[in-house]
Amino acid sequence: MGLDDLLNLFVAAILLAGIYTAMSIGMTVIYGVMKMVNLAHAGFMMLGAYFALEMSQRLPIDPLITSVLAAPVFFLLGIATHRGMVRFVPVADEPTLPSLLLLFGLWLVLQNFGYAVWGADDRSIFTPLTMATFRFGGIVVPVIRLIVFGIALLSLVALHLSLQHTWFGRSVRALTQNREAGQLAGIDTGRTAMLAFGLGIAFTGLAGALLANLYSFTPDFGGSFMLRSFVITVLGGLESFSGVAIGAVIVALIETFSILVVPANYQHAISFILLVVVLLVLPGGIEGLLQRWRRLR
Amino acid sequence: MTELLSVKGLTRHFGGIAAVVNLQFRVKEREIFGIIGPNGAGKTTAFSMIAGSLLPTAGSIRFRGREIAGWPSQRVVHLGICRTHQVPRPFTGMTVYENVEVGMRFGGRRTPPRGEVADEIERILEFTGLSGWGASSAGSLPTGNRKRLELARALATDPVVLLCDEICGGLNPTETADILSLLRRLRDSGITILYIEHDMRAVMRTCDRIMVLNYGQKLAEGTPEEIQDDEGVIEAYLGRRSWMGRAEQLEEPP
Amino acid sequence: MSAAPASRATSRTAYAVAALALLAFLAVPWVGISNNAIRLLLTTFLWVTTSLAWNLLGGVTGQVSFGFAVFYGLGAYTAGLSINGGITPYAAIPAGGAVAAFGSLLIGLPTFRLRGPYFAIATIGVNEAVRIVMSNLDITGGASGVRLLQAGRFSQAEHYYAALGVASLAFLVSWRVMHSPFGLALRAIREDQDAAADVGVHPFRLKLAVHALAACLTGVAGGVFAHYTAYIHPDGVFSFSTSTSILLMPVIGGLGTLSGPVIGAAVYSIVQEEMVVHFPQFHLLLYGALLILIMLFEPGGLAGLWRRLARRLRGGGP
Repeated sequence: MGLDDLLNLFVAAILLAGIYTAMSIGMTVIYGVMKMVNLAHAGFMMLGAYFALEMSQRLPIDPLITSVLAAPVFFLLGIATHRGMVRFVPVADEPTLPSLLLLFGLWLVLQNFGYAVWGADDRSIFTPLTMATFRFGGIVVPVIRLIVFGIALLSLVALHLSLQHTWFGRSVRALTQNREAGQLAGIDTGRTAMLAFGLGIAFTGLAGALLANLYSFTPDFGGSFMLRSFVITVLGGLESFSGVAIGAVIVALIETFSILVVPANYQHAISFILLVVVLLVLPGGIEGLLQRWRRLR
Repeated sequence: MTELLSVKGLTRHFGGIAAVVNLQFRVKEREIFGIIGPNGAGKTTAFSMIAGSLLPTAGSIRFRGREIAGWPSQRVVHLGICRTHQVPRPFTGMTVYENVEVGMRFGGRRTPPRGEVADEIERILEFTGLSGWGASSAGSLPTGNRKRLELARALATDPVVLLCDEICGGLNPTETADILSLLRRLRDSGITILYIEHDMRAVMRTCDRIMVLNYGQKLAEGTPEEIQDDEGVIEAYLGRRSWMGRAEQLEEPP
Repeated sequence: MSAAPASRATSRTAYAVAALALLAFLAVPWVGISNNAIRLLLTTFLWVTTSLAWNLLGGVTGQVSFGFAVFYGLGAYTAGLSINGGITPYAAIPAGGAVAAFGSLLIGLPTFRLRGPYFAIATIGVNEAVRIVMSNLDITGGASGVRLLQAGRFSQAEHYYAALGVASLAFLVSWRVMHSPFGLALRAIREDQDAAADVGVHPFRLKLAVHALAACLTGVAGGVFAHYTAYIHPDGVFSFSTSTSILLMPVIGGLGTLSGPVIGAAVYSIVQEEMVVHFPQFHLLLYGALLILIMLFEPGGLAGLWRRLARRLRGGGP
């Protein structure tokens, strides 16, 4: 194993981290504002993947470009979901079991809706770009991964700007930091929650559509990505937007470099084991770890 | 009277904020020991550490000479220390009777013989003024009775020391007087009571000794008369608007 | 007995109904019902067992687990491999329960440090990790599964009685737990874990205990299943969809009650039987929708809905 190989792995991990961030930020926004763990995350990612597939079959435009359309479509879908069901379950300072089971039910519905419409066959999106690579010294970068990384990054910048500079963004940040105080300060919690849910689903659908360009998928798609999102969200401290990026880099690094030590058959188990370990050992995320460490010194 | 509880150097940090700093006090057997202080003074934090619901950052808590700092609450209860909650936390999906039964069966230093559990529970319900409510759902109780249920559930554990956290908060004067007389009767029957309260009149009338907390530290300690005359306490009162209001209340005839 | 005891007449009726039902089910193999119907009943009994078991942890104690397939699978594999090793089913199936209970301790010791929803999410990870490990072990036959040797197999009636026995055991155990101080403490943990600890309940220890009890029952059901189908593979018994099914039945039937999980399991088995041939996925779509409706409108599940209807009918009647 030479230096080039390690560098290649490192670049692959960073590119992966970009899409992981976009994928997990949806879960973080929803958790932050509503204190709900979105168990339907996987279902919306799967829908996003099939959205990209349908678009690629219907429009003579590159599927990467049409994937971006998933964001507005899923924003509306998220808002409809909130209006139609999510707003009826009570919100607390901690996630509640009814909200968890409700969203789990939604996942089941979406998943089996997927089976009913698209069947159980493995599907993938194949374009001239799929196999193209790009060399930079000893480093080989798949072009499509670079583009996906770029789109994810752009969407995150857009999110950052909207959170910093709009009324909605300020409400989201206020409610995330302190729900009660936010309410007292006159924030329209119902409307903010609705928009936040829409925004969360928009990112989830977009991530699903983008990932469809990289991996093959079935209606079961999304489950393992959802668990990765949990890990990333917890690592990032559950409701910190910048923490998500750090969490995503860590998870992407662990997954990418684990091929050096973990047998291929057990590769899939990594994200699940990581989930349990992170929940148990680092419930406060990276920040919590640093705090504990500082106090010990 | 013998010393029952002795707290030394008790400290608790939340992140970088110190909620309780180097607290030291002793509680004697069969007294009502009041703890007062403004919001955020660290009263409930100190209570939670004694009751075992919160780990101290540092310090020692001795009960009858035994070090109990850091013990979990279910262990502390079995020694005979039980708390109530400032905001009542009944088991809402269960009946009032069942709420008390949990305390009796699991918190008791001795579980009463089989046939006597029901009688004991009835006795406690009657003492706390909840007789007739046994079959009601705890979630349907009005505020006053929720406070009584907190007390009843804690009493069911047969405590030596009872930690009452603002048990009169939000009650009307009649209800308050009722609860206070219950506390005095409990003291006379041999239970030691630690009592956090906002209502100064209630504290002054009921407590044998009082400790004043401010910013997590002890400001003063003594009998109600001593506290009323304490320079430091008066200064703290006058320095704060909300406290001045309460100090004035003291002057009113009871 | 806990609490204001239910009126004696009601409980006497309940005993009579239970006894009659048991007698009727005992007679089933003798009255010339089709093999297919017996198979359906047998499956229902196994699901009744897992539902009642899951309900002890998820319904009574309020700890939702997405990982019960682990116990079903451990029970199935322990029983299956033991039977293949020449051990009588009468010992092999209980051994499945014991191994599942032991497994539940290994899982519970770390994960019960987590609160409700975080525990639930951790169990998703545990379930999938265990499935992947099991699919790669030699002893489980890897992804190709294990075929049980045919020698000494039961007749269908014997399998039927085994399933009926397990379901009755689960019912009896659930009844005992729910009417004992242990059950009282479990409910207190569901309502408010910290407040329960403040009056002397040991949440961690009791959760481990009820988890082990539920795992044991689930493992025994898995053992009976393995013995009956004579073929098991990790992607079946250990799969996340098995966990999902085990969770759905009691939630849809009605959490925290005795009748709810039974109703949920019966409805599930019948619906699945009807749907699985023509629409293999449709029953899960239906159940997902039902789960959403129940969480929104009737947290008491089908049993709660039934009670509400009965009350309204009685109130409206002459």
